[in-house]
Amino acid sequence: MAPAIEIKELTKDFPLGLGKYKLRAVDHLSLRVEQNQVFGLLGPNGSGKSTTMKVILGLLTPTAGECRVYGLPSNKTAARKEVGFLPEAPYFYKYLSGLEMVVLMGKICGLSAARARERAWEVIEWVGLKDAARRRVGTYSKGMLQRIGIAQALVHDPQLIILDEPTAGVDPVGSAEISSLVLKLKEAGKTILLCSHLLAQVEDICDHVAIMNKGRCIRQGPLAEITEGQGDTEIRLDQLPEPEVEALRRWLGERGIDLRQVKRPQLRLDEVFLREIGKADLIYRQGSESVQLGSQVTSDKAGKDSENE
Amino acid sequence: MNSLRIIRLIAGNTFLEAVRQKLFLFLVFIAAAFIVSSFYFRDLDFGFSELKFISDFGFGAIVFFGSILSIAGAAQLFFNEIENRTALTILAKPVRRIEFILGKFTGVWAVVLAFTAMMTLLLMAILWYREGILMGMERFARDFPEGRKVLYGDILWVGFLQWLKFGILISITMIVAGFARTNLFTVVISFFILIICHLQYLARDAWAEIAFWPARMGVAVMGFAFPNFQVFNVGEYVALYEPLPWSVIGSLVGLSAIYIIVYNLLAVVSFRSREI
Repeated sequence: MAPAIEIKELTKDFPLGLGKYKLRAVDHLSLRVEQNQVFGLLGPNGSGKSTTMKVILGLLTPTAGECRVYGLPSNKTAARKEVGFLPEAPYFYKYLSGLEMVVLMGKICGLSAARARERAWEVIEWVGLKDAARRRVGTYSKGMLQRIGIAQALVHDPQLIILDEPTAGVDPVGSAEISSLVLKLKEAGKTILLCSHLLAQVEDICDHVAIMNKGRCIRQGPLAEITEGQGDTEIRLDQLPEPEVEALRRWLGERGIDLRQVKRPQLRLDEVFLREIGKADLIYRQGSESVQLGSQVTSDKAGKDSENE
Repeated sequence: MNSLRIIRLIAGNTFLEAVRQKLFLFLVFIAAAFIVSSFYFRDLDFGFSELKFISDFGFGAIVFFGSILSIAGAAQLFFNEIENRTALTILAKPVRRIEFILGKFTGVWAVVLAFTAMMTLLLMAILWYREGILMGMERFARDFPEGRKVLYGDILWVGFLQWLKFGILISITMIVAGFARTNLFTVVISFFILIICHLQYLARDAWAEIAFWPARMGVAVMGFAFPNFQVFNVGEYVALYEPLPWSVIGSLVGLSAIYIIVYNLLAVVSFRSREI
């Protein structure tokens, strides 16, 4: 089975003026996104993420190296048939209604007029914009724009969906809804390439990440591996009373293990916000449905300094 | 077949955007007002030659405002796609750049067709109406011994040929827009080229007298690179009540087809390397 995206030794230079100087935006990048992954492409501004995405979308030609989408060179039009793309801060045709815009994109992707209309209603309903479908896109809020953007990206039922900063300028509820949509897409068997500066969101929904800096990939792999703490072991317990903590410390001490930290886990602010406004169902983290209140114990066998909090 | 479908979809969307722009409606209104105003110059008592005046004035308005619409419309509709990043959304779909450029061209050309058709029909209506009045006037009755003299079918042909000329102009604008960074630059350069095309006959005339061969070559290249727009001034036939020769129509259709095809291919080449 061909990977959704396969990039080998990709280099992209941009000429600076008429001289011989060039700006190297991407430098010998190699990436592999398997099917049904939610892959996060991370990096600071100017790290080469957007250039990489444009190469994947066939909008830029690599200076060196190759990029394949489902086994096809990305610069071939056929490679984009299975790709849906949500650009950063999308400005769609403001004079069209949301429905007209999605239908147009469906037709451009090869759907018949009737099928495009049928699919447009499906995806518009799926992203929760049914009531606003006949409104002009120019009247949409940022969150609605992102959602209609996702709808147009999905209208032709692509296998690979590329989302460039999907939550830029969106409020926490909208952001959580988009995260929820991404996870639904994964459940539906789609592959998602996500480019975002919101690392907490990436951590919540991605299963693989690649970190880029100055055009190079400096780290990539499964999220769990990349974020794994080195040397420590974390145990979660239900409401451990103070005397029991001391007993545990003594018990561990007898075995040569330092109990470095005992604390109650912190909720993230976005989670508190969503709970307070009654949207707790949108809270999601990799590997757990939601955060459970309780005690968190961290121990370090080789630790010298022990600390209580 | 799929390419034609995509071109049609992009063209349809471009047409929709254009007719919702104020520029299009404004030019339609102004051009129509110009053509209609020629009717009121009868107070100057042109007599029988009044029809020639209305015809010249009407075609002048069509050419002038049609040229503005062709250049400004093509530049605006192209840069809207770039600046609003909608081109990014479209080109990230299975759409080739040639389909995008041809779709934009066709859409703008369709808008100009609507404009030219409306103005030509308006001109025909005014000429028809005024000719009827003149025929009923005793002092001009002898000028119409065999009934109406204006060749209305030929007015349609002249309108059609002007539309072809606008097609060349739109293609030129698309070439410039392909590499230009701003809308203003595109409009200014395209208007310069329009002027060159209108004055190009001077270079052709001078060509025969140039002895210095590099200059002669340069002028010859200019003569082929830029079409001679003077050859599209066929409104005189209508004004003089002479039938438009088929040879003229045929040669202008052929000339337009060649330039439109070549220029659109150049526009695609110009746009191909553009970073979106």
